[in-house]
Parts: sequence; structure tokens; C-alpha cells
Amino acid sequence: MRPPAEAIGTLALIVGAIAVAIFIGVEGALVYAVWRYRTSRVSTPARFDRNTRLELAWTAAPALTLAVVFVLMLGTLRDIGAATDAQLRIRATGHQWWWEFDYSGIVTANEMHIPIDTAIDIELASVDVNHSFWVPELGGKTDMIPGQINHLRLLTRRPGVYLGQCAEFCGVEHAWMRIRVVAETKEDFDRWLATQGSPATASGDGARVFQSNTCVNCHAIRGTSARGEAGPDLTHVGGRATIAAGVLPSDAASIRAWLVDPQRYKPGAFMPRVPLSDADLDALASYLGSLR
Amino acid sequence: MSAVPLWVARPAGASAAGWLRTVDHKEIGVLYIGMGVALFALGGIESLVMRAQLATPNARLVDPELYDQLFTVHGVTMMLLAVVPLLVGFANYLVPLMIGAPDVAYPRLNALSFWLSLVGAIVVYFSWIAGGAPDAGWFSYPPLAERAFAPGPGVDYYILGLAVNGAGTIIGAINLAVTILLMRAPGLRISRLPLFVWMTLVTSFLILGAYPALSGGLVMLFVDRQLGGHFFDPTAGGQPLLWQHVFWFFGHPEVYILVLPAMGMVSEVIPVFSGKPIFGYRFVAASSVAIGFLSFSVWAHHMFAVGLNEFETLLFSVTSMLIAIPTGVKIFNWTATMIGGRIRLLTPMLFAIGFIAMFVIGGLTGVSLAVVPLDLQTTDTYYVVGHLHYVLFGGTMLGVFAGAYYWFPKMTGRLLSERLGRWHFWTAFVGLNLTFLPMHWLGVQGMARRMWTYAADTGWGPWNFVETAGAFVLAVSMAIFALNVVRSLRGGAIAGDDPWDAFTLEWTTTSPPPPENFRTLPAVTSRRPLWDRKHPEMRDAS
Ligand code: HEM
Ligand SMILES: [Cu+2]
Ligand SMILES: [Cu+2]
Repeated sequence: MRPPAEAIGTLALIVGAIAVAIFIGVEGALVYAVWRYRTSRVSTPARFDRNTRLELAWTAAPALTLAVVFVLMLGTLRDIGAATDAQLRIRATGHQWWWEFDYSGIVTANEMHIPIDTAIDIELASVDVNHSFWVPELGGKTDMIPGQINHLRLLTRRPGVYLGQCAEFCGVEHAWMRIRVVAETKEDFDRWLATQGSPATASGDGARVFQSNTCVNCHAIRGTSARGEAGPDLTHVGGRATIAAGVLPSDAASIRAWLVDPQRYKPGAFMPRVPLSDADLDALASYLGSLR
Repeated sequence: MSAVPLWVARPAGASAAGWLRTVDHKEIGVLYIGMGVALFALGGIESLVMRAQLATPNARLVDPELYDQLFTVHGVTMMLLAVVPLLVGFANYLVPLMIGAPDVAYPRLNALSFWLSLVGAIVVYFSWIAGGAPDAGWFSYPPLAERAFAPGPGVDYYILGLAVNGAGTIIGAINLAVTILLMRAPGLRISRLPLFVWMTLVTSFLILGAYPALSGGLVMLFVDRQLGGHFFDPTAGGQPLLWQHVFWFFGHPEVYILVLPAMGMVSEVIPVFSGKPIFGYRFVAASSVAIGFLSFSVWAHHMFAVGLNEFETLLFSVTSMLIAIPTGVKIFNWTATMIGGRIRLLTPMLFAIGFIAMFVIGGLTGVSLAVVPLDLQTTDTYYVVGHLHYVLFGGTMLGVFAGAYYWFPKMTGRLLSERLGRWHFWTAFVGLNLTFLPMHWLGVQGMARRMWTYAADTGWGPWNFVETAGAFVLAVSMAIFALNVVRSLRGGAIAGDDPWDAFTLEWTTTSPPPPENFRTLPAVTSRRPLWDRKHPEMRDAS
């Protein structure tokens, strides 16, 4: 089966070409009529007002065109439908306003890695309101609706970074609910997954600040006693390219800025401002950045 | 022949109390149109603030809470509170005149529907000063619209306001349908009805079918929010998708409620300004009925991404494609009406042609949304925002402007300026294409709808800037129209009874018409009674 984005792209070209042809025909006829029958060229208008054969023709022609489009669509639907050929299953869960990705027990957030040339079944869930998982270059979107599990088939042949966006309005920070998908070779993916599965190793002052503040109530860092579930898992947050679902890059300076005042970058997000001393902020930022 | 505007000529219109008490269909029509214009201006201002916010990436002109309220109230306003009253206002004013009746069937009920509609709109807008406007989108999906996620009063004002407004709209629809079915002049058979009246009749039945579904949904949402119900609450066994089905069962016909009357307007304008009878009258009328029925069978095309099963997906894809056929029939017939005619390119005709040209774009992108794989890429993105504005601005609003230029002389006794009319048209045409065309590619590139801002690295900045510029061109265009109206009311050229050399009954009476509408009615023996009177030697066959 073809990669969904490719299948949809081909169909879009065909349907687009048909639409452009109809557009040119209809607008052309309109412009012709206005130009040809303008007042200065006609002295008395004609009086004809019906032609049943013509009516039937322009009822039938669109019907036939649509029938062709429908049949083409059926072929494409097979490529984007249920992932009966899935070799990997990922559970993606929408939260206001971040993503959780669960690879059979290995949990990460906001940045999803996938192996190329592998059909993947994404199970879509939500813990609060409706969201919609959409990475345009990988295929169409599917909603995440609380109380049900939806499925989306993903497959790509090209390694690279694919950006996406929550597509169903989900509250104030819907806009800052971006998705980053890294498609990589099977070997790179396996290495990445092994890293994600291992507990955090970094320690030091920053770890102490983290453990002794309210951070632990919402975030988990495996290998420590932090087990919060309200916010993204941070076990390997330093290894991701961005934080807060695509709001800021994940370098230590940006992380520090975020910690100083999350509301400044993502107003409405559920992470409060935690008052910390400058020294604690420095330590915490460099600790999080080192969680790779 | 009176040269004085209606509201001066009519004793009831001379005082504020007169306007409050009036049960005259023309005055109620003017009230409805006034309400529509006022709310259209409010909805327009909301959209300009949104466009200003989106002009550049990462802007902070408004915060996300306010942005969410703006697009919600803009959507609610445009879909329910502004354009419906505008269209109902024209129907109220014109239907009795076009069918040769002295008034609508139930004049006092008519006043009730107007005041209910207005109160509903006021309730929605009152929310701005009563703790926050609704902010869950115009289709207000639960769970987001449930109390747990929308604790403020905004959604409650949405529920209450739309329920009251909807009651007014439903009552108004009954009134119009009964008027059209029972109060036609002798000889004016259903098969001779002017097409604007035909489409108003179909629209009335659409309202009767669709609005009760909305009311039902609103009651359920109210029970959930205020009485601890769980219709849509998945954590207690409720089903969020139930709302989507109920809402779109209303929501899709609503689109045709907004489009069909405008189609009726251009179906009046095009024949008159082509100097020819409408081509394929029966097909134009019948295609409206077909659209009416089909519009109740396509609702889940708004829900292709929610995980419908294969049967549902294919079913709603087919019905949605089918609805393109009767729509195409109309476009072909309008064009065929122009062919062979003698086209007078005056402002009403310019807008009617603009309607066709723009509606074709909205129609074609609409078909692309019925093609499920394409819909899965484009739904809930700016592609859809672009599509719906081509239908509703490029379509409905240009049609309403065609109707406004066409019937303004009948309503006021004065002509609008052609020169300002042309400026109005061309600025609207340029503005709307600048604003809404780039939305299609932004959507395909990944810009979801209802985003309060976007990152610079997306590369969406330049096109968004163009759109914002276009929106301000549109604002200028609307200002030109307002200027045109004000100037004509003050001292426009006197219109006379029949300034356009038209065909239908409303042009046989004075401009503005007397309280009882007609002193004498011409005999109706065909679809074009006034043509027959003016050309006795070339009367239409009946
Ligand atoms: C003055 C011209 C107009 C401009 C510049 C404009 C602009 C916009 C913008 C920027 C949005 C928000 C998109 C988003 O954040 O997702 C929007 C949404 C919308 N507009 Fe308009 N609009 C105009 C006129 C209209 C008209 C005439 C109608 C209907 C008759 C209409 C119906 C809607 C609807 C239904 C929505 C969706 C609201 C929602 O997401 O809940 N607009 N418009
Ligand atoms: Cu969202
Ligand atoms: Cu629809």
C-alpha cells in the first residue's frame, strides 16, 4: 500500500485538474456572455427560455464527472484506511495543549519518532476535549475524541522532520499544540527507542531543585520519584528539539526563560509560574537540558 | 409616485413608538434589514480584529481568550444573527409585493418573530459585558463547551441567545411559507411564482426542518451545563459525537438557508438585466427543491475525521457530491439566461455576475471537501475558512448586494449612485479575493483554523499579511456602500415605479409602495405580468 500522503497527493492533482478545467469552462462562458451580449452589440434580446435536452445534458455531465471522482476516491481510501499492514503501534493521546506518545509502555511527549518504510497504526485518544492529529506531509488528520479510540495509518519512505498541528479547536492554546515527527532509518529509530526506554541518568543540583518543588506533581522523570501525569513526561526532554509542544527550542537558555514565566510564551497553558531563585533556575535549566 | 423615503411617508414610521408597534410587513422588513446591517457591521469589526492579529506571526494584539471569543461571536453573528435577518428582511418586504398580497398571512406573528430574533441577538452580545463572550466556536463542540472546560457564562449566553433567536426564525418561516402558499394574487400559480419567492419558500421549509434540531441540541447542552446532565460527557457515559450529529443536521441546511435566498435574488436580477426570461425556469425551481431535500442528508461531511465507519463515510461522500448537481444546474441556467440577451451592466447585474463567478469557486472547493481523502487534509484548516467565505461572502453577500441595489429604489423611491456602486463592487471583488484566496494554500500548508497566532518558522506570514490587507480593502468597500445608501436617502435620483424595466408585480406599484401595497393589480397570466402589461403585443405564453 502507498504512503497515505502520496496517495492523497495524486488524487488531489487529478481532482484539482478537473476542477480547474470546470472553472475555466464556466467562468469562460460567463465572461463570454457578458462581453458578447453587452448592450452596444445587441439591439433586441432573444426570447428563448428553455431547452430540455440541454438541461438533461448539463445535469448528466456533472453526474458522470462526479462518478469518476468517486471511483478514484475509492482507490485512495484503501491506502489511507485502517492500517491492516501495521508493523508498529503507537498510542497518541491529546492533552490540553500537548501530545503524549506511548510506544507500548515507553512514554514520551510532543516529538514522535517513526521508522521509515514501516506501516504504523496510530491509536488516537484524548483525556479531555477533542483534538485532531495532523501532520500534512504524512497524511490526513484524524480526531482524538475522549471516550473512543480512533486509528490513523502512517507510512513514509523519506527520512526527515515533519511538522504538524492540532487541527481541532481545543481551547486557548490550540495554536501552540504543534507536532514534530522525526522519520528515521530503522536502526536510528531502534536506538532512539532504546534511549527513551532507559531511565534518566543525570543528577546534581538541578535534580534536587526539581524533586523539591511542585514540578513533580505534574511531570514524570523515570529513574526518579517524579511521577506526575498532568504534564509531559520529561525523562528525555533535553533530547527533543523543542519544548511546550513547539513553543521554544530546547536549549538551556530557552528552558530557563520558560521556567521563569511559562504564561509569557504560552498564555493559558496549565503550567504555573514556579518562583525560584536565579541559582535554582540555572541549575534546573541545565539539568533538564542534560536529560537526553 | 412618492419621492420621500418610506420611514417618513408612513405615519407609523415617524416615531420610535411607531416602529415598536408596527405590524406592517414592509416596516418589519426594514427593521430586519436594519438589524442585519448592524450585526453584519459588528461581525465585520470582529473579523478585522482577528485579521489584524494574524497579519504577522507571534503577534500579541489580542490574547488567546479574546481571539477565541472573536471567532466564536463572528461565526455566530454571520451564520445566525446578521445574514439570516438580512435575507428574512428582504423576504418580508418583497414576498407580499411579488405575489400581489397586501401583507403577510400573520402580521402580528411577524412582529413577534422579528423581536424574538433581535432579543436573541442582544442576549448573545450581552455576554461581552456579562463575564465573557462564548469562546467554543460557532459549533460549540462538547466536551470543550461543557462547564468543565468552559466555566464562564459565555456558552450559556450562546445557548439562550440562539434558542430565542431560533424561535423567532422558526415563526417567521411559518409565516412566509403560509403567505406564499395561500395569499398569491389570482392567476399567480405556483408554477408562475417569481424565483426569489420560490427559493424563499424552500428556505422556509429548510428552517422548519433544521432549526428545531438546533433548539433540541441547545436544550441538551443546557441540561449538561446547568442541570448536571451527561448527554455529551464521555466521563459519565455521554457521547460527544451526538452533539456533532445534531448540530450539523442543523448546520448544513443552515448554509443553504443563507445561500438559497441570495440565489433567488440573482435569479430575479439576471433576467431583467439581460432583457430575457429566465432560462429553464422549471429546472431552476426544481433544483432548489432538490438542494433542499439533499441538504438534510449530507451533515456528516463535516465529520469525516471523527472516525466514521466505511459505510457512513461513503454514504455522506455520495450525498455531498450529489448536491453539486442541482447547484451546477442553476449556474448553467443563469449563464444561458444571459446568452442571447441584451446585458445592461448596471450595479445590480455586476453583483449578480460577481455572485456567479465567486460562487463557482466556493462550489468547486466544496466538491473537493466531499472527496474524503482530500477532506481529511483540508478539514478544520484555513482551506475550509477560505471555502466557506467564497460561498458566504462571494456568494450570499454579493447576491444580497445585487438585491439591495435592485430593490432599494422600490423601498425608498430613490436610486443608488451607479458610480459609487461600481466602486463598491470592484473594491469588494478585489478585497474578497485578496482575503480569502490565499487561505486555501495556507490551509494545505498546515495552518489549522482557529489559531490565535502562528510561529514565524512556518513561513505563513506573507500570505497572512496579504489576507489582512484584503480584509481592510473589504472594510473600505463596505464603507463606500454605506456612503452610497446615506447619500441616496438624502437626495438620490427619483426612481419611479419601474426603474429597471422589470417583469414582476412589485414594480407595478409605487416606490415606496402604499400601506396596502397595491391600488390595482394587473391580471396575472404568465410569469412576467409586468412584461405582459408593457408589451401586450408580445405577451408571454402562460
Ligand atoms: C468582512 C469580511 C470577513 C472577513 C475579513 C472574515 C474573516 C474571518 C476570519 C479571520 C475568521 C477566523 C478564522 C479562524 O480563526 O479560524 C472567520 C471565521 C468565520 N467566518 Fe468570516 N469573515 C468575513 C465575513 C464573513 C461572512 C459574510 C460570513 C458568513 C455569512 C462569515 C462566516 C464565518 C464563519 C462561519 C467563520 C467560522 C467561525 C468559527 O470558527 O467558529 N464571515 N472569518
Ligand atoms: Cu487543538
Ligand atoms: Cu456542510
